[in-house]
Amino acid sequence: MKAKLTRIIRARKFATFMKLCIYFVLICVSFVYLEPILKMISMAFMSTKDVIDPSVDWLPKSPSINNLKVAGTVLDLKKTLVNSIWFSALLACAQTVVSALTGFALSRYEFKFKRIWIIMIIMAFIIPVPLLMIPRLMMFISAQNLLGFNFIGTPIPQILMALFGQGVNSTILILIFYNFFNLIPYSLDEAAMIDGASPKQIFFQIAMKLSATTVLVVFLFSFVWNWNETYVTGTLVRNSIELLPAKLNMFDSAFQTYAAAGRGNAEFRINEAYKMSATLISITPLLLLYSFVQKRFIQGIENTGITGE
Amino acid sequence: MAKKKKLTTYQQRQNRQGYLFMMPWIIGFVIFTAIPFIATIYLSFTEVRQTVLGFQITFTGLDNYIMAFFENVEFVPAMIAFLGMIIPYTFVIVILSFVLAYLLNKITFLRGLLRTIYFLPVIIMSGPVMYQLIDSSTYAAQMDTFLEFSDIFIVQMVATYSRPFARVLIDIFEQLSIILWFTGIPIILFINGLQKINPNLYEAAQIDSANSWQIIWKITIPIIKPLVLVVTIFTIANLGTFSINPVYDLIKKATENTSGGLGIAATFSWIYSFVVLIIIGIAFIIFRNREKVRRHY
Repeated sequence: MKAKLTRIIRARKFATFMKLCIYFVLICVSFVYLEPILKMISMAFMSTKDVIDPSVDWLPKSPSINNLKVAGTVLDLKKTLVNSIWFSALLACAQTVVSALTGFALSRYEFKFKRIWIIMIIMAFIIPVPLLMIPRLMMFISAQNLLGFNFIGTPIPQILMALFGQGVNSTILILIFYNFFNLIPYSLDEAAMIDGASPKQIFFQIAMKLSATTVLVVFLFSFVWNWNETYVTGTLVRNSIELLPAKLNMFDSAFQTYAAAGRGNAEFRINEAYKMSATLISITPLLLLYSFVQKRFIQGIENTGITGE
Repeated sequence: MAKKKKLTTYQQRQNRQGYLFMMPWIIGFVIFTAIPFIATIYLSFTEVRQTVLGFQITFTGLDNYIMAFFENVEFVPAMIAFLGMIIPYTFVIVILSFVLAYLLNKITFLRGLLRTIYFLPVIIMSGPVMYQLIDSSTYAAQMDTFLEFSDIFIVQMVATYSRPFARVLIDIFEQLSIILWFTGIPIILFINGLQKINPNLYEAAQIDSANSWQIIWKITIPIIKPLVLVVTIFTIANLGTFSINPVYDLIKKATENTSGGLGIAATFSWIYSFVVLIIIGIAFIIFRNREKVRRHY
């Protein structure tokens, strides 16, 4: 009896030990995740002296916010921030609407070739974007020649693409809606139909009213992805609308023109601290967003249901 | 008889209403995805010149492909660099995210916080940010890393067998943070999948005196296997879309060259996509469930 008890105690101890090991590993790994971000934050506050000083590794000796100020001016922060926000929000709105419609169709109707369309939705995710960009670009240039109206350099092409469900990661957004609508009992629809509701009414009065949080999740995801997207934007909008990530991409050259125009002294050269400040500035809005609604983001991905059931 | 007629009208209504809701997506898919997909194949055999009147397309046969493989000095190395990146990265990402998800699933305290940290990169990760971070962290150090790492016994051991393989190994450890940044969504998917496994199965196995190692290999992994396929495909697609990808730069440069560059860009992107689709196909064959047809979502 006693031997058994000690064995149980030993097993318990072993279990706690294993748990501690797991915590140790996970916390170490989380440091690896955060290391670039922490490094970036520490770098952003370093003065020029600290950057050169080899004894400074993490904590700057003479912290300054000068870098942030300079990076902010080089990035043209006020303008690019506002531009980025309305641009991403606009695209996110368009994507949310079309994803909701498509998700609703897939979840509520048994139409012909539905399985084929689902496969096509997944294919749309797998096909690499550059493959599609060239004909798209040609299409828009031809259209603008035909109509005598400028498309390239405006957000119109991307809004059109988003509105017709071909924006960034549209597939994932559709799947989030599809799985959420699947959770709404079909009997609600039936009850509404018996009362004479049209499909439009069912969509707005039942599906949409129940899925306010899902709409928010999809909107936020779409916002973030559109914010971070630079390839399509770089091809279609180019430099005519200055967006924050695109500006960050050309930070080096932008900094040089700024430095040449401003002070000409030797110490005013680009260094890591300026670059990291610029990077920090460009991700701060997203970090703020994430800190408020991180639970929703994670739940959103959990609800895509691509885990298969 | 009347009943049958009613059934068909119901089906018709389903069709009509379903397609009505699907319509925007279908139009978009045809115009912005299906037609471009086919058009790129055609364009890759042509030379495209942008003139005042519009596009001048002349058929040139295999010239572009010959150019890409034999004449252009940048494309083949970029492709090889891309392959050398995507294949080891995908392996590491899938395995690491499974291990991390498995461990996260075992604990309760701090779980939310850790999950939040692991998911954070999904939000902030973008081409320029990655570029800045990779640039700052490794560029200066990149030159002598091989020497630096060659002190490590395992690296030495691998290097005696094959030097390129050791190089890949070093690359992985060097870029570990960046690789880990791609595990955000896979971890969430794996956790979700792990939680859906019926606990009765574990209990039954324990009663039959299986240890936890056996439980992982005989229960968890077989059940999670279809999900591995999803995660692999997702990772490949996701890795491909990042602008750390050297091929993207080339394609973009070729696209911006208006005097005849578009045809070449089409060739580049078609070869690139073909390779990516082949990799996805291989992943599909490896992880496919042979007993039954897997559902796609």
